[in-house]
Amino acid sequence: MLTVDAIDTYYGEFQALEGVSLKVEKGQTVIVVGPNGAGKSTLLKTILGLQKARTGSIKFQGEEISGLAPHKVVERGISMVPEGGRVFPDLSVQDNLRVGSYNPVARPNAQRQMEQIFSLFPILSDRKRQAAGSLSGGERQMLAIARSLMSCPQLIMLDEPSLGLAPLVVNMVFDFIQQMKKEGYAILLVEQNANKALKVADYAYLVESGKLVYEGDRDSFDKNPYIKTAYLGL
Amino acid sequence: MLEELLMAFINGILLGGVLALLAFGLNLIFGVVKIIHMAYGQFVMLGFYFIYYFHTAWHMPLLVAMAGGIVVMGLLGMLVQLLIINPLLNAPRLNQLLALASLIIVLENLAQVLWGADYRGIPISMPIIQFGDIFIRSSYLLAFLGAIATLGILYLFLHKTYFGLAIRSVAQDVEIAKGMGINPKVIYYITLAAGGALTGVVAAFFIPIYTVHPHFGASFTLMAFVIVVFGGMGNLMGGFISAFIIGVVTSITAVLTSTEVADILALVLFILMMMVRPQGILGAKA
Amino acid sequence: MKRNSTTSKIITVGVLLIIALAPLLATSEYMVHIGTLILLWAFVSTAWAYMARFGLVSLGHGVFLGIGAYIPVMLFNYYGVSPWLGMLAGVGAAVLVAAILGYSCFRFGLIGDYFALVTLAMAEVVSLAIVACREVTGGSLGCTLKASVGWASFQFDDKRYFYYIIFVFLLLALYIWRLIDKSRMRLALTAIEESELAASSMGVSIIRFKMGITLLSAGLTAMGGVLYAQYITYINPGTISGVGVSLSTCFKAILGGMFNIFGPLAGSAIMVSLEEYFRISFDTGFLGVSEIIFGVVLLVMIIFLPKGIVGSVSEWLNKRFGVARS
Ligand SMILES: Nc1ncnc2c1ncn2[C@@H]1O[C@H](COP(=O)(O)OP(=O)(O)OP(=O)(O)O)[C@@H](O)[C@H]1O
Ligand SMILES: [Mg+2]
Repeated sequence: MLTVDAIDTYYGEFQALEGVSLKVEKGQTVIVVGPNGAGKSTLLKTILGLQKARTGSIKFQGEEISGLAPHKVVERGISMVPEGGRVFPDLSVQDNLRVGSYNPVARPNAQRQMEQIFSLFPILSDRKRQAAGSLSGGERQMLAIARSLMSCPQLIMLDEPSLGLAPLVVNMVFDFIQQMKKEGYAILLVEQNANKALKVADYAYLVESGKLVYEGDRDSFDKNPYIKTAYLGL
Repeated sequence: MLEELLMAFINGILLGGVLALLAFGLNLIFGVVKIIHMAYGQFVMLGFYFIYYFHTAWHMPLLVAMAGGIVVMGLLGMLVQLLIINPLLNAPRLNQLLALASLIIVLENLAQVLWGADYRGIPISMPIIQFGDIFIRSSYLLAFLGAIATLGILYLFLHKTYFGLAIRSVAQDVEIAKGMGINPKVIYYITLAAGGALTGVVAAFFIPIYTVHPHFGASFTLMAFVIVVFGGMGNLMGGFISAFIIGVVTSITAVLTSTEVADILALVLFILMMMVRPQGILGAKA
Repeated sequence: MKRNSTTSKIITVGVLLIIALAPLLATSEYMVHIGTLILLWAFVSTAWAYMARFGLVSLGHGVFLGIGAYIPVMLFNYYGVSPWLGMLAGVGAAVLVAAILGYSCFRFGLIGDYFALVTLAMAEVVSLAIVACREVTGGSLGCTLKASVGWASFQFDDKRYFYYIIFVFLLLALYIWRLIDKSRMRLALTAIEESELAASSMGVSIIRFKMGITLLSAGLTAMGGVLYAQYITYINPGTISGVGVSLSTCFKAILGGMFNIFGPLAGSAIMVSLEEYFRISFDTGFLGVSEIIFGVVLLVMIIFLPKGIVGSVSEWLNKRFGVARS
């Protein structure tokens, strides 16, 4: 469904990604782990078109999307949950969700989608008129995830959704990812919390300083001695 | 004397309504595009001239001429976005400021070349309303009511439409807005068009009140600045409230002393505000 | 720098020689007049660029021009005070005002576009104040300097006098520019421009250095105002104070390139000539055409050549031939 092939991304002169390739199949959950500054967020931003890849190709459902403006990419069916659950703080919860359905593909279904989301996240329904900035960290993350569902995506990319949340809330987030997976969404999840992320993963990649250093299914990750000591804390 | 002050107060409120509309446009552009539109008052001047020209040279009925002026100013707003703001979107703030300041030179002299340096106006006599000893010019009252109505429409546009929602989200966080499938360039064009059309609306309300000349806009640019800074840059509510404060303060000062002193007072308030409380009267401490 | 210092020295001497000899070759009084205007605005915009090239972009130098122009004229017209004393008073007053305004700006940490906006407002305040005191200043109609020719009253019949007097002041301004370049001040100000926080932790007293350059710039600009009044002998708030002249001062420097010592001079030469050319060729019916073209040129410059003409040319030369920026 998504094929990233040997992309290089630069910030000015600084190269943040070097020849990164990865694949996400329909209905699959793929995770990318790596330390701070490895280029995980850059990878997601490049796929979405927020950063331009200097070389390489990005194909989504067989069509080249690298070089497209982000709003075009969103229209094709990719959505992103940004790092730190960045929501629009001065917009109400409801308006945040509505922005999620801005693209013309999603707009006609916005009302139905919103009702579904409110039944999935009753907390958000209770606060729908409240400004998003007044939500707690966990609620904000939930809102960011819910907002990404509003654009009728086929692939959802999540950037460290568990970052800075209490363990109980982290579990909630992963439960929810599990549920999205069951509903058939393809998921590309970036995480530092490799233990938790591997539990939902079908396939995993390890990125260090802008390069892919390892890939494999869950078992091969679990068994790799380097990953075990460096990322799984075993 | 007391009647005079009371009248100055009322006129301040009435003019404050129009100033609120003017400041709203400047504020919206700042909030969304993060650009200080230095030539905003000059846009009002141009709008005035266009309405004047459509009415006197092309013999359009006044209301049609006004509508025409509003449309033309909206288009000019988009032209500014296309030719000046787009190429400078990632330039240092100061370059943006200077570019729009040079636009002032272009627009004022363009008006001078096209329409000459004389004062021009459309003579309309509107009745004066009397309440006891208080006289209110109906042209002011009309402008006030019209401005408030326009602000109401703008409020609904921002809060009840998808475009309005997109404008508000781009104002808060462009990058995330892009991730939501919003094309900020389109939003910038809409914002500049709305801001331009607003100057046309303000010009239309000014028709029965003022006459126009090429340097007519300068004082309105400054007035709008003062109001926007006083209310906190990008803070639409703050701008709305401070328009009335500034309107009343300058109007009363002008009656007690002279219009120059009133303008000086407004500018001094602006300078002090920028120094001591740049976030404006309503803003939270940064 | 050292490697190419001979090249830049030759250019410098050449430019200055041309300026010095120009009046001897001029075929009419009018040409000398234009030359004088060019030098005057070059002097003022050079002084403006002292601050701007370190990130202190003032859009309010009309404050100092206005004070410098009005005080000596008022003193002379009403009390017969010698313009030589009036000059001191005007420049002194401008420096004092600069000290107060500058200190308040720097104290509250106004930088960048906020500083630009506040200074713009200050220019308008001074201009409005001159209009408001119309009993004394003549308001927006302006006032004329009482005629009295001779060194004692600093007025001359022969235009060449002012040409050379202003030339000397320009030389002084360029010399000070050089001194600043060689001094500790430049290092400090560059450090401050790059990062106030880092500079202050290095022990640089930010306010002191900013004040130093501001007072210098304001004093020279006020002197420019004095020279303008003595030379033109008619002043009004629209032309020598307020937003208009403030913007045009800074635009001249930007046009030429405010980071280059000869940038403001080049910008003034281009602008003054252009203005005159259009004024003559379009006559009064098209008053304003030259400004429109000028404004458009500025816009194009700011968008495509933000370093100014001299800056961009010397950068290009640098890349092409390795010639140093002076
Ligand atoms: N806007 C930017 N400009 C310049 N460099 C950037 C920018 N954003 C990120 N970088 C650099 O690119 C590299 C990768 O950053 P990125 O944010 O993708 O890392 P990450 O893997 O997401 O890290 P984290 O786990 O901390 O979120 C880092 O070295 C970072 O400093
Ligand atoms: Mg990241």
